[in-house]
Amino acid sequence: MICIIAFFVFAFLAVFSVSYRPLAKEAFECVFRRITLKPCETALDQRIKAHIIGKIMKHSPKLAAFTFRYFEVLSWLLVIIMISSLAYTIYGGYNYYRYGNCYGPESTAFCPFGAFDETTSGVATNYTGPFIAPTPDDDPSKGPEDAKVTIIEFGCYMCPYTQEAEPIIKEVLTKYEGKVRFVYRDFPLGEIHARADLHAEAANCAGEQGMYWEYHDKLFERGATCGASETSIAMLKDIAKELRLDEEKFSKCLDTRKYQQEIQKDFEDGIKAKLTGTPTFFINNRTIVGSRPVAAFEKVIDEELAR
Amino acid sequence: MNVEKIRKDFACLEQKPKPIYFDNACQSLRPKAVIEKMQEYYYEYPACAGRSWHEWGQKVTEEVRNARIIAQKFLGAKSPDEIIFTRNTTEGINLVSQCLNFKGKKVIITDKEHNSNLLPWQKLAKTGVPFETVPFGNTDALAKKTSGAGLVSMTMTSNLDGTSIPAKEIIEIAHRNGALVLLDAAQSAPHTEINVKKLGVDFLACSGHKMLGPSGTGILYGKKELLDKMPQFLVGGETVKDSTYTTSEAEKVPEKFEAGLQNYSGILGLGAALEYLKQIGLDNIHRHEVRLNKKITDALGDKVQLIGPKEAELRSGIFSFNINKMNPHDVSMLLSKSYNIMTRSGMHCVHSWFHANNLPGSCRASLYFYNTEEECDIFVEAVRKLLAF
Repeated sequence: MICIIAFFVFAFLAVFSVSYRPLAKEAFECVFRRITLKPCETALDQRIKAHIIGKIMKHSPKLAAFTFRYFEVLSWLLVIIMISSLAYTIYGGYNYYRYGNCYGPESTAFCPFGAFDETTSGVATNYTGPFIAPTPDDDPSKGPEDAKVTIIEFGCYMCPYTQEAEPIIKEVLTKYEGKVRFVYRDFPLGEIHARADLHAEAANCAGEQGMYWEYHDKLFERGATCGASETSIAMLKDIAKELRLDEEKFSKCLDTRKYQQEIQKDFEDGIKAKLTGTPTFFINNRTIVGSRPVAAFEKVIDEELAR
Repeated sequence: MNVEKIRKDFACLEQKPKPIYFDNACQSLRPKAVIEKMQEYYYEYPACAGRSWHEWGQKVTEEVRNARIIAQKFLGAKSPDEIIFTRNTTEGINLVSQCLNFKGKKVIITDKEHNSNLLPWQKLAKTGVPFETVPFGNTDALAKKTSGAGLVSMTMTSNLDGTSIPAKEIIEIAHRNGALVLLDAAQSAPHTEINVKKLGVDFLACSGHKMLGPSGTGILYGKKELLDKMPQFLVGGETVKDSTYTTSEAEKVPEKFEAGLQNYSGILGLGAALEYLKQIGLDNIHRHEVRLNKKITDALGDKVQLIGPKEAELRSGIFSFNINKMNPHDVSMLLSKSYNIMTRSGMHCVHSWFHANNLPGSCRASLYFYNTEEECDIFVEAVRKLLAF
């Protein structure tokens, strides 16, 4: 049965090197013959067996003898392991394609497929206390308050992944309009993005004038164009002007940092909810970390709605 | 015989990891002298022999003639005209089977023949020339069957187990009963002194590649009076003196049997190989092989399923064996992969004998004069490990 493994290995190698193609073909013929209960004509299986056992023999004759005696059993075990791994890999690939993570929509575990495909900006915390599920608190929300499903997003306006997730969450909210409540809570990653807290405070200042979501959208539209604090503050005031807010009131709110405590509270609540990065979504306390495909949200929301 | 000095003539033995070549019954290695002689042809006079009158043509004609004389002397033939260059032993036997006039008389072979000395007779049997088998080396059985036989065709030394027939006695029995004798000397010519004149044999075929010569070379010896009477085998270029649209006049021997452009480089290489062997001495070679085989046999003879007699002296340089129920291919491949020992496995083209004896084949170690005692020790160590499998 070693031919089956050989076929997969040589077929894979043949993709990169033509010299492996005859071997892959030979292995395929061998597999075909074994399936039809005939011996492998080219003795590929015997050659592989000899190659493996020959190497072992020089170092450990006893192990070589054992391997020789139980080679077929060991081959079967390897075939089972290989097929299981393959199935698991395909399942992981499907999950990654559909939900952006190998292990399903809610997993935050390391996914090899996404090793170079980050979806969050991280934060290091020293919090060792218990997990405290986040609440909507008094933060801005959309949708019916008594909705069966509440999505709480912890985001940072300057985080590229939060920005990347914005159109996705918009699409989700459009699809589930009237069925879900969406709450945006601030988790400014000050260590990574200088003055990210000011953006969050500015949105809250706009909220005073009933324009939170409009300001929120504008911040995402502008993206991470803000750098130094002066430029950043000017831009924040510029957005207020664009939205025809009471500029004086807005500037006073922003300059006095009226919502600094509020933003800090959001951040601390995020830490207590064991956040490791932005964006993080709590859908009835089920977690989706990072910018994930719409399907990942749909799966969790549908399940919550069906409860 | 200084083996260490001799080994320096074989470039492939200098490889790392050190190869242990125990597949000499299949084909031997080639010394530098042979390779250089072949190169000499291509580098210095790469022309046609026997037909071109320019300088290179003359040179290659002379070299081929020299090679024929060397072969004549090597086999103890009366005349170089009795030496026909072939591609191998198989071709030599086929030539005899196709060209000898059997007059409906049967052919006698042994029960341990290489396919080369079985299939030509199976083919001939379809034309009405039957063949019978006698037990290998059994002169009594032969004596009983030889009456009415046209030819006794036997292997001198079995490639399967290294045992030899009493060739002289068999030839005498055959001749007494009016049968000619063809000896397949593929496994004996490289290892023992042969003198066709003293033996009185009518035909003898051997291969160059088993006696240091290039692959694709062989010799068929035939008594001139017999060869003269035989019709041509393959026909074409250089096999005729003259031709018209409807007729042709055959060349004299040996040219009449050497159709088309010959493997000149190979023939020259073969000549160099035979000279090399003569220089070392076939008696020395035989003694050395038997000594090595005895060493292996003493260590393993009663631990493995040995094919052939227990006495190493009777098996020349061949140690053919099985290990319990291990597939012989597994044995051979494991020896190769673990210790770089090259042996042959399977039925060694003697399928008929293995089938008759209900054996799956064997692993065969075949020795030659460049093998060493140290190599035999490693072989013994490796086989001992396999015995525990």
